Amino acid sequence: MHPAERQTDYRWPLLWAGALVALVGAALLGVAISESEAWAEVAGALGLSLVGWGGLVQSFDAGALALGPGPAGAIAGPKMLVAGTLVWLAGWGIIASGIRRAPASTEGPSPAAGSTLYPRLARYRDFYWSTLGAYGGGILLAELVMLLLQTVLSSGVPSDLGVAARESGGGASLPPTIAFAIALVVGAGVAFASGFVGASRAQRLSLPEATIGVFYLGLPVPILLSLMERVPSLQLALGYRLREVSYVAGLLGRPELGYWLVFAALVLSLVLGINTGFIAAGSGRVDLRLGFELFVARRHVAVFRPSLLLGALAVLMFGIIPPLIIYFIIRGAEAAVERTRVKSLGLADPLAAASAQHRMKLHEQSPTMMMTALSVGGVGVGVMALIIVLSVMSGFEADLQQKILGTNAHAVVSKYAGELPEYAKVMEQVKRVPGVVGQTPFIINQVMIASEGNVDGVIIKGIDPHSVGSVTDLPQNILPGGDLDHLEHPAKILPSRALDDDEDAPTKKLREEEDPIIGKASKPSKPAVLPGIIVGRELAASLRVVVGDRVNVVSPLGTELGPSGPIPKSRAFRVAGVFYSGMYEYDSKFVYILLSEAQDFFALKGATGIELKVADIDDARRISNQVVRVLGGYPYRARDWGEMNKNLFSALRLEKLVMGIILSIIIIVAAGLIVATVIMLVLEKRKEISVLKALGVPDGGIVKIFLAEGLQIGVAGGLLGLFSGLAWCLFIEKVGIKLDPEVYYIPALPVRIEPVQTALSVVIAVLVTYLASIYPALKASSVEPVEGLKAE
Amino acid sequence: MALLSIRNVFKSYFLHGKRIDVLRAVSLDINAGELVSMVGASGAGKSTFLHVLGTLDAPAAGEVLFDGRSVFSMNDAEIAEFRNRTIGFVFQSHYLLPEFTALENVAMPALIQRRDRTGAYTYARELLERVGLGSRVDHRPGELSGGEAQRVALARALVLKPAVLLADEPTGNLDPTTGEGIHQLLRDVNRDLGITAVIVTHNETLARSMPRRLRLAGGQVSEA
Repeated sequence: MHPAERQTDYRWPLLWAGALVALVGAALLGVAISESEAWAEVAGALGLSLVGWGGLVQSFDAGALALGPGPAGAIAGPKMLVAGTLVWLAGWGIIASGIRRAPASTEGPSPAAGSTLYPRLARYRDFYWSTLGAYGGGILLAELVMLLLQTVLSSGVPSDLGVAARESGGGASLPPTIAFAIALVVGAGVAFASGFVGASRAQRLSLPEATIGVFYLGLPVPILLSLMERVPSLQLALGYRLREVSYVAGLLGRPELGYWLVFAALVLSLVLGINTGFIAAGSGRVDLRLGFELFVARRHVAVFRPSLLLGALAVLMFGIIPPLIIYFIIRGAEAAVERTRVKSLGLADPLAAASAQHRMKLHEQSPTMMMTALSVGGVGVGVMALIIVLSVMSGFEADLQQKILGTNAHAVVSKYAGELPEYAKVMEQVKRVPGVVGQTPFIINQVMIASEGNVDGVIIKGIDPHSVGSVTDLPQNILPGGDLDHLEHPAKILPSRALDDDEDAPTKKLREEEDPIIGKASKPSKPAVLPGIIVGRELAASLRVVVGDRVNVVSPLGTELGPSGPIPKSRAFRVAGVFYSGMYEYDSKFVYILLSEAQDFFALKGATGIELKVADIDDARRISNQVVRVLGGYPYRARDWGEMNKNLFSALRLEKLVMGIILSIIIIVAAGLIVATVIMLVLEKRKEISVLKALGVPDGGIVKIFLAEGLQIGVAGGLLGLFSGLAWCLFIEKVGIKLDPEVYYIPALPVRIEPVQTALSVVIAVLVTYLASIYPALKASSVEPVEGLKAE
Repeated sequence: MALLSIRNVFKSYFLHGKRIDVLRAVSLDINAGELVSMVGASGAGKSTFLHVLGTLDAPAAGEVLFDGRSVFSMNDAEIAEFRNRTIGFVFQSHYLLPEFTALENVAMPALIQRRDRTGAYTYARELLERVGLGSRVDHRPGELSGGEAQRVALARALVLKPAVLLADEPTGNLDPTTGEGIHQLLRDVNRDLGITAVIVTHNETLARSMPRRLRLAGGQVSEA
């Protein structure tokens, strides 16, 4: 680095104060603008691309809008807008007043006046417009490419573009998440490439250009997308075109969070590109050979030593105290043995003892080594926590999903209004859709159920026992004693053995039910065969019924005319089985009867809808769209499980994401440790850096050496975290951590190790450590060779 | 044509906030194969002169030409490569890298070039034997004496057979006998390998024994 002597004088107190005042002004403006709904107006007035263009344009236009005819709803508007604008401008004024031209040097001309400046400094420039273009344009391009690519990939090529969309066969589009992943990779690649090009052409980092580029060209898109979620007119203008984008972001529950996370990822890859470009700047090409740099870096920080790795792993697995105690015991014993040895040696030969003591001294650890071990441990703890917590949360999610999908279908085909009398025909058509592996018709309604002991409101479902097993887990969920087939053959339902186990029980019970006035009948008449019903375990418990007991189902809808006016339709059933799905809501709220009984009971011709099972549950959305297309669209519609349980799953995902972000903070703290460690290393190795430069290592090589040192820590910590996290997960899975079944309705802590998510945890850790070591590495490369070579 | 020439070079350093112009419009030619000594008072700028000559420090103005090519108009990576291939440094302290053995230290410039490791080690071992340290190849710098370390440093400077050897008071920290050994080695190197050498020294006897003598004083270089 050869900083030019600046003729400017910065008064930092003024600059900071000005920045604060400007920030307050911007905040005021923001409040005023968002309250006066001027966002939408400004957006409309300026054309959408200008929305993010700094406070100036906004304030002028919003001010003009508010001061002019203005929207009627702007109550707080004009005053706050004016005040905000004034404060904002005042802030910039203060900043400007903090930058002064320094007084010209009083020294006379030096003897060198007039000679040619040496070439590097002569080429120096303060600001590169082309670099600004590369950075800002790059981030904007990356965002646009992402939006476009995702839309094109997942919604199929728009037919008006004339490209042959593969209509049938179901391959017209990729599943949204895969399309998103591809778009993200490509977008990140674009950002990386533009950062690389910008930095390597300018041969420096060009931070002002990067900041301005990201601010003025990068920010508008995420701001626009966030506003789209809030401002109805924007939603109207853009929502339909960007539906695929907002669908994926909406999977998180909070789409804005998704947009900003993606934006952060793109900025991150721009930064990585800039960094890589800078490393390559000296030679103009990326030198990916790392042999020499690793050779040096591994001597500087010997991370991959068995003692360090095993020690850190022990700390991660058993906590910090037990390994520490063992360590001190071992070291204490070792030191005692050594002292005795040295003493006995010294009694024979004092000089031999002196050299033995010298050798012991050499084995002592340097503070940098301790810092390295701490950093490795810190990264390891972060990764481990991330893996364990995310795996447990995935376990809960998977458990919930399995229970929901065990009872509910993956997708439901119905009409927008009314029932589906032609379900048999529809099923014929649906069968041909690829990806559909099972289907069953159903009727759903709400009824009251009454036993001798209790009454409850439940959801009743008419099912087809033959095909229901191809869609849900109901047949497997029936508890022993009951049987799904008994719905069709109610005569086979075992008689209830409510009180005692002897053969006479049913007879006794019947006898008790007999009319006391008539008196006892000599022989119990053969009872009419009641249709079967299947109830959930919790419902059976609260109704106090077992298999074979009689329950009454009462529908408030289908009324019958009785002697004293309309009375609710009621029908008696016998419990043919009890099911246990594991979801309290289902076990206490669902009952099943035969489809034909339900048709009869509710006076329906067909079914409410058809439940589908698909081959890949993550592809349910696409397949259900396909089904609707095959059926010819309106009035048919299909909803997938994600849509039906959207709130539940998006809440879960949001929770997981937030948890991940919070836990990543551990990694970021560890990254702070890495920054400190690598800075210490740089300070410690100043002389060595100078020597290496004198021997001909270019700046990029120095950067690579110190990046490699940070990365070693990151990789070691990440791997340790991976191992210990997986070990803990296995422990939880195999040994199990018991949960209170009253609270959780699940016996033990569930764990599901998702490979992608686990790998992502490690990758994030390594990436963060890489980013953390960029600054110290750049510092190292800026050490001038002569600095460290001065004779002491 | 001169191998190394400097044209109208200005360079200053700063001491307690004051600028000291140690090179003022210095121009000089050094021919291939020359053995040059440079003397001057402490603080006259001998080290600075050597640093500029060896591209470790950029001049404020002027040009340094190697084989007629201006070295400071190259980019960073090219300058680093030039330093690696063309120039060997020996400093007052040995400046060996403490984490590496003598052998690895000597081979370091070749490793920086990403040369084959075994080949580099073979040649480094040969050089170490030549400077009389064949038995100490696997010792770390901390285990070597001052004279030994300086010989390792000299071997390191020679491992890539550079065109120019720049030595900055190579015997400043050594006793006269050990120092004389190093001087002899430097003369041998110049004679046997034909390496152009510029040696900055306080030792007048040594300076007088060199074929060409320079003196730096008042920002000017004169032949002495």
